[in-house]
Amino acid sequence: MKLTKIIMTLLVFAIGITIHAQENLTGQKIIENVYYRETGEDATSELTMTLINSRGDERVREIKQYSKDFGKEEKSIMFFQAPADVRNTSFMNWSYDEEGKDDDQWIYLPALKKVKRISSDSKSDYFMGSDFTYDDLGDRHPSEDTHKLLREEKLNGEDCYVVESIPKEENYMYSKTVVWVSKDKWIGLKKEFYDEDGDHLKNLTVEKYDKIDGFWTILHSVMHNIQKDHRTIMNLKDVKLNTGIDDNMFTERMMKRGI
Amino acid sequence: MKCPKNKHLIGSIIALVLILIVSLLFMDRMIENSRMETDLDEYMPYDHPAFVFSDQAEEIFNINDGILIAVENKEGIYNPSTLKKIKDLTRQLQKMDEINKDDVTSLYTAENIVGTEGSLDVKDFYNKIPQTEEELKQLQSAVRSNEMVFKRIVSENEQIALIVAEIDDDVFTIEFYHAILDLTKSYEGPEKLHVAGVPIVEGTLAYLAPKDMMIMVPIVIAVIILVLYFVMRSVRNTIFTLLVVLFSTIWAFGLMAVIGIPIYSVSTMIPVMLIAIGVADGIHLYSHLDLYLFEHPDAKKLDAVKDMIKGMWKPIVMTSVTTAVGFISLLTSEVYPIKYFGLFTAFGVLMAMVFSLVLIPASIIVFGLPRRKVHQEKSKEESGKFSYKFAEGAVKFKALVISVTVIIIVISVIGINEVWINSSFLDKFEKDSDIVLTDAFINQHFGGTNTLNVILESDDQDKFKEPEVQRLIDKMQADVESIDVVGNSFSLADYIKRMNKVMNADNEAYNTIPESQNLIAQYLLLYEMSGDPDNLWKVVDYDYKLANVNVQLKSDNSKEVNRAIEILDKYKADFEKYNVNINYAGSGYKALVFTDLILEGQITSLLLSLLLIIILLSVMFRKISIGFIGSIPIVITAVISFGLMGIFNIALSTTTALISSIAVGIGIDYAVHFIERYKIYALESGNKELTIKETMHHSGRAISFNAVVVIAGFLVLLFSVFPPNRSLGALVSLNMFTSFIGTVTIMFLVLYKSNMYFKKKRNSNENK
Repeated sequence: MKLTKIIMTLLVFAIGITIHAQENLTGQKIIENVYYRETGEDATSELTMTLINSRGDERVREIKQYSKDFGKEEKSIMFFQAPADVRNTSFMNWSYDEEGKDDDQWIYLPALKKVKRISSDSKSDYFMGSDFTYDDLGDRHPSEDTHKLLREEKLNGEDCYVVESIPKEENYMYSKTVVWVSKDKWIGLKKEFYDEDGDHLKNLTVEKYDKIDGFWTILHSVMHNIQKDHRTIMNLKDVKLNTGIDDNMFTERMMKRGI
Repeated sequence: MKCPKNKHLIGSIIALVLILIVSLLFMDRMIENSRMETDLDEYMPYDHPAFVFSDQAEEIFNINDGILIAVENKEGIYNPSTLKKIKDLTRQLQKMDEINKDDVTSLYTAENIVGTEGSLDVKDFYNKIPQTEEELKQLQSAVRSNEMVFKRIVSENEQIALIVAEIDDDVFTIEFYHAILDLTKSYEGPEKLHVAGVPIVEGTLAYLAPKDMMIMVPIVIAVIILVLYFVMRSVRNTIFTLLVVLFSTIWAFGLMAVIGIPIYSVSTMIPVMLIAIGVADGIHLYSHLDLYLFEHPDAKKLDAVKDMIKGMWKPIVMTSVTTAVGFISLLTSEVYPIKYFGLFTAFGVLMAMVFSLVLIPASIIVFGLPRRKVHQEKSKEESGKFSYKFAEGAVKFKALVISVTVIIIVISVIGINEVWINSSFLDKFEKDSDIVLTDAFINQHFGGTNTLNVILESDDQDKFKEPEVQRLIDKMQADVESIDVVGNSFSLADYIKRMNKVMNADNEAYNTIPESQNLIAQYLLLYEMSGDPDNLWKVVDYDYKLANVNVQLKSDNSKEVNRAIEILDKYKADFEKYNVNINYAGSGYKALVFTDLILEGQITSLLLSLLLIIILLSVMFRKISIGFIGSIPIVITAVISFGLMGIFNIALSTTTALISSIAVGIGIDYAVHFIERYKIYALESGNKELTIKETMHHSGRAISFNAVVVIAGFLVLLFSVFPPNRSLGALVSLNMFTSFIGTVTIMFLVLYKSNMYFKKKRNSNENK
């Protein structure tokens, strides 16, 4: 009897704590959890990017990509495999944790045989003509927005937090975003984007994700620009994490040499 | 005695009331269901290959007409206040429901492809308003060094910046037009704002034309009433003649409303035709009655009416049926509003026939004979004398009449070769009107207010990444830009050249198409990574199988547009070597094709109606030669009308092209009345001299009344402030005049010389 009582009390206490903990979980914290979710030190994958316009015309790009976390900076390099006329074009991006510091970007055009720097003054640039901006791809720091937990609800059978984020910066390309975050995996499963004028601009939906080498990884996602009815499908294959990519992979020399 | 009289009276009253009731019903339907169709695209024949192609291209490349707003500051635009105005106005336009956000181009939204050695970027010219002297200088030099922007949206003297808002064809309304004008007005001072562009020109036209007509039409009708009264000298006759026109117009428009056919701008020509033609029936009937009463001063009204109907029903039916057939020939047109115009004008003409044969006799029976004034007899004598003299004179100076006619015809035929149709909207305005001056102002400083889209097409993927093809496009652009009507042009080649230059340290020597196709592909990829690729899809499609070259024109005048097309067409063979086809698209080009279609259709239907009329007349008079003689006024009217336009370089337009139909309607009217009367007198008297005199007195007089009434009415339009209405007035009057003169001179002489209806007696007469 006594034991039962103790167990009951403990259980109630535990539940109470959990509830309490959840009440304390702010929008800010949820987004930070997503941002700082462990993703592995480095990653290798083959990206197939399919662009579809409103008339259903498709363009497909195949890219081999490598990325590595260097602590205060993250470096990634991409090699175009297809279409044939841009084969071996490579693109390198170094992004910095330091607030306000812009990414460094280089491109190597094999037809010019030269590495050129691209200065990116805005993370709101679209990534390779897709519907993703650099920010959409996960670079945006949580401190740049004010986050608010709107509600909790199920999305495709998964428990999610629904968080609204409003940028602190004026004139930012989005007036707000709303994201559905999986409670147990800390990945965003769906995101709505609203443009400067508050009109619904885009929808991001994650179609497929999996645990790879112990980390939750998004494998298939679709970004749909509603205003232009333009879609980008990102499909990852052969994802390998923590393979110990050489630091020298992220150099201009590698861009020229190719893989 | 009383019984039949009452029967006639009751029948007449019933007829009058019945017509009135049905007219009121139609009137009601008209008010309920009629709607104006102002969207010009609704006029186009959708299935015509040129339109199908253009519509597809417009959809693929998002080709739309742009509203141009020029912000002018004589002190230069590089100051915070003007730059803020450009930004605010751009944002305001983007927020309007009728305008898509991405379709507004200005210095605020334009992208700046820049680079120094080792770096390339696509950025905004400004976002926050530059405040410091240094920032402003920076912006200034950024614009100056970018040929994709400089002289395109910022003028060379740096005093004017352009904001272009492209809109879909179907969103334009009068309210939107005023909203745009009000919006720009609120930004006035110290900057001056100018609004132009194809949608604004069309909008102003759609606003001005009906407004002018609302003022002019009542005056036209008043003048017609006045002159009608002057020639008829009876209020009642005037009223009933006009009622015939009024009811037939109401029935025509009422039927359109019942069937659910909207009123197109060419439909406004239906009342014009019905006035010109409908008035004739009444005039001829009353004229006949007048002459009868003159000869039988004590006639009873029933006898007078009986004689009028007996004498006149045949020519009225004949003229109406042939006229209607003439208009029905417009069904051959590819343009639906013109088909409807033909059909409902034909219906109106037949209704005018019924009304004049029912309404006018019934009115006499109900209200009695027109009161005859004493002094009228005298004038009738005089007019008789004049008619006789005219007939004798025409015969006497027949050599002169014939040779003058031949000379005029020869000159006209030469002139016809010069006839052209102008699809220009701007040419419809006064040369010194605001809209023309604004257009000229913007054309003086920028590429051009009108766009011709050259669509290049190939079956091969990535065709437009080929350096040879791009180089040819570049050459074609340089070539077409060399004529003064073309301000500039814009295509994928401009992007490639800009990228090549920027990637080579802004070296002007690299402002060319590179040698390697892969390099072009890689530049384009690079652009997609840095800029807004949506801009690319305005000049090329996803597969690089289709390309769009924008040619900016400083005029929408058909001759000027055709000059540009002539140069572009020369490249057809060169492009064919690369399996590339050239076609054209855009609203300006569609208007060009459309007006050509109208002119072509008009000529075809004119010839067809002429043929039908010759056949009809031959059958009606049972003589083939009458068919040809009767068509003389039509031919003369049409030839002179087109000939004069050619000689004086007056272009036809969509509506004025239709005026040649009036030649058919009026020409046939005059000819049939005249010939029928001639035949009656000839068979009655057998005396040629008497016949020509009496015919001239009877028919010639009525014809001249008809001509005078309509000419006087339409000459009023010469005082319109709206040039197309002025040419309408001039052309209708001219056609009435030539039809009249042609009938009483040359056709009369041919009839006289042919000895028609005298052949059997001629021998006996001459042998006497």
